[in-house]
Amino acid sequence: MRCLVVAVCVLGGSISAAAQQTPASSARTSYTLATASFAGAGKPGEWTSQARDYANTRYSPLEQINATNVASLRLAWSFSDGTQYGHEGGPLVVDDTMYLVTPFPNIAFALDLTKPSPSVKWSFQPNPSPIAIGKACCDAVLRGWAFDDGKLIYNLLDAETVAVDVKTGKQVWRTRMDDPGRGVTMTMSAFTVDGKVFVGNSGGEMGINGWLAALDVTTGKELWRAHAVGPDSDVRLGPDFKPFYPQLEGKDLGVSSWPANMWRTGAGSSWGFISYDPDLKLIYYGTSNPGPRVPAQRPGDNLWTSTMFARDPDTGMAKWAYQFTPHDEWDYDGINEAVLLDMPINGKMRKTLVHFDRNTYAYTLDRTNGEVLVAKNFAYQNWSSGFDMKTGRPIVDPASEPKPGITLDRVCPPDLGQKDWEPPAFSPHTGLLYVGVFNICMKLTDHEVSYIAGTPYDGMEMTRFSVDGKDGDWGAFIAWNPATGTKVWSLPEKFMVMSGAIATAGDIVFYGTTDGWFRAVDAWTGKVLWSQKLGSGVIGQPVTYLGPDGRQYVAVAAGVGGAALVQKSRDGFPPRGNTLYVFSVNGDTIAAQDVPQASTAAAPAAVTPQ
Amino acid sequence: MGALRLVIVALLAAGIAAALTGWVLNQRQISARRAYSYYPSPYSPIAPLGGVAGATPAPTAAETPNPLANDPAAVAEGHKLFMSMNCAGCHGYDAKGGMGPNLTDTYWRYGGTPERIYESILNGRPKGMPAWGLALPPQHIWQLVAFIQSLGGTVSSGMAQAAAEGNLPDKGQNKGASDQQ
Repeated sequence: MRCLVVAVCVLGGSISAAAQQTPASSARTSYTLATASFAGAGKPGEWTSQARDYANTRYSPLEQINATNVASLRLAWSFSDGTQYGHEGGPLVVDDTMYLVTPFPNIAFALDLTKPSPSVKWSFQPNPSPIAIGKACCDAVLRGWAFDDGKLIYNLLDAETVAVDVKTGKQVWRTRMDDPGRGVTMTMSAFTVDGKVFVGNSGGEMGINGWLAALDVTTGKELWRAHAVGPDSDVRLGPDFKPFYPQLEGKDLGVSSWPANMWRTGAGSSWGFISYDPDLKLIYYGTSNPGPRVPAQRPGDNLWTSTMFARDPDTGMAKWAYQFTPHDEWDYDGINEAVLLDMPINGKMRKTLVHFDRNTYAYTLDRTNGEVLVAKNFAYQNWSSGFDMKTGRPIVDPASEPKPGITLDRVCPPDLGQKDWEPPAFSPHTGLLYVGVFNICMKLTDHEVSYIAGTPYDGMEMTRFSVDGKDGDWGAFIAWNPATGTKVWSLPEKFMVMSGAIATAGDIVFYGTTDGWFRAVDAWTGKVLWSQKLGSGVIGQPVTYLGPDGRQYVAVAAGVGGAALVQKSRDGFPPRGNTLYVFSVNGDTIAAQDVPQASTAAAPAAVTPQ
Repeated sequence: MGALRLVIVALLAAGIAAALTGWVLNQRQISARRAYSYYPSPYSPIAPLGGVAGATPAPTAAETPNPLANDPAAVAEGHKLFMSMNCAGCHGYDAKGGMGPNLTDTYWRYGGTPERIYESILNGRPKGMPAWGLALPPQHIWQLVAFIQSLGGTVSSGMAQAAAEGNLPDKGQNKGASDQQ
């Protein structure tokens, strides 16, 4: 009955909105004809992994919320988890339960969506060691969690991976992966496929040795571990390893592209999102900057840092690799995600991987072999004067190369890149990618550093500022054509955009800003259709789902922190927060009186004293 | 030869550190004994009757001052150590905070008097501050404290009670207050 009313409302609304549509938005042909497999997604109303599907599209087929009614989004309910660090993950919705994990101390919550929300089914406290707080470069964050085989699986900041039974909220297994005392933390979202969970380490500023590992989902036992630096045996390169570019061929390049022994503390951590192609049987992920961050101390290409790997998930052996920023000099990690799309490029259908790198090139690679098909700048940069398509290497402008003790007044982007880890969304309707970006530069002075275990192996003294001067914007949200490498539209933002983006079949794209705006945008035109200021800045990942009541909801956490804190001295930067906000059309949601068994949650009736 | 010299220096440093910390701790125990001596052991209550459990004891003149405070050479050496021991990597090249807390303000999680800062460097702190007692001799730690004191945000013994009670005015260094954890 209620759904019927909603349907009528939607229909009624669409007539008036159709009359207002701009000519551009009625041209409904995909810009690129790009498609994705969407394998690994749950039911249409669910959101069962951080990226929703293996291809990392963050696209939902839900369309109840669309251009006709999105302006009526109102708060349905909210949930505060009581923790203080940056909230970078997105809630998962499986069946009628929502799963959340907080930043440190990494408390897990299961919320029953059939009851007036929030209704906590259980919570789980793993009590990680507080020593990890001071070892995490960029706030004590967690970027997500995984659901598989009846378990909620996630990383603890103190370098353990834990699995919790989703029925009971009790720990099933817990595996120590590394030593936080030596500067290793774990902040990435676990990713599961085919009975394995994939996790990597953080600590690219701490002289750690980077790795990605596969654990058995059932037992937590480690199956393999592939390092980003060191000999081929550590990096898991064998006879099947066939990189596209000749400079990536050769024995033990993870040793020989470094000064003697410096690979051991050469970083190459893995702290971004993983994607998976079930047909090619390959997982894709990137590695971090090299250590130390001072390039003068480590001449060479510093393989396999700032690199994308394609690996066999069963064995961990690499099929190919491609290095985005050889001998990175500015902390341009290559950890940003790969979105797996199939699209025609120059008239030929290609299996591609789209990656917005911190170095400000947006790459469209052939995901079968690592060939660069498109490499174009998605924002302003001045470290590279061009791109050599023959060698697959960016051309470095010598004027932007740091030397210890010499100050460079303006290098763009700064260490955070013009896009950090915040993941983009893909719409198969428009064929475009949507992504939050930055518009910033740095003043940089390098200082030579020594390796002291458990302390930063860093050496970059920086101040960051807008590309456009004192009053310039620090961020933007853009729509990107990955076939041509061109920007379709751009929304300027005063503050950095560090939230994930999602796209829906309702042709709405959602994103948040670090000063706390949560926005709904027309996927075709970039027109902002709805904005709501939240209680803190948004660095989380929005999701959308269908509640047990048949309504479409949109949820996002507001809890600023992470690398967004570089803006903390700017006027208008919000305080920290820890609230999940859930929106629906008109704020409609399950009321206490709709659920007989939840009557205790109903408003109390007044009692007259006897 | 160089290695041998390093070992000797390290042993010497450890010895001095042990002696000095022993002295600091000893002073503490003496003042603690003074406070509880009315109650014969083992019947002494955990907290003195009529007192407030867990209240921060008022700092006394017995707090160890920094023997190198205001010594320009020590401040300069402390700055060098701040860079070479990677302190700057966590606390910032301007010491205004990053991965670790701001050291230029009057907000100190573990106390901002020279002695407390010395203790923090010597023994480390639970949220990731490493213990430097084995790596640095007391003189170097006091040099680091002198450098931090020179930044103007520390707490003098006279201000310690007000600091412990949270009554020192914020000078505006913690704009946004997002980093006071």
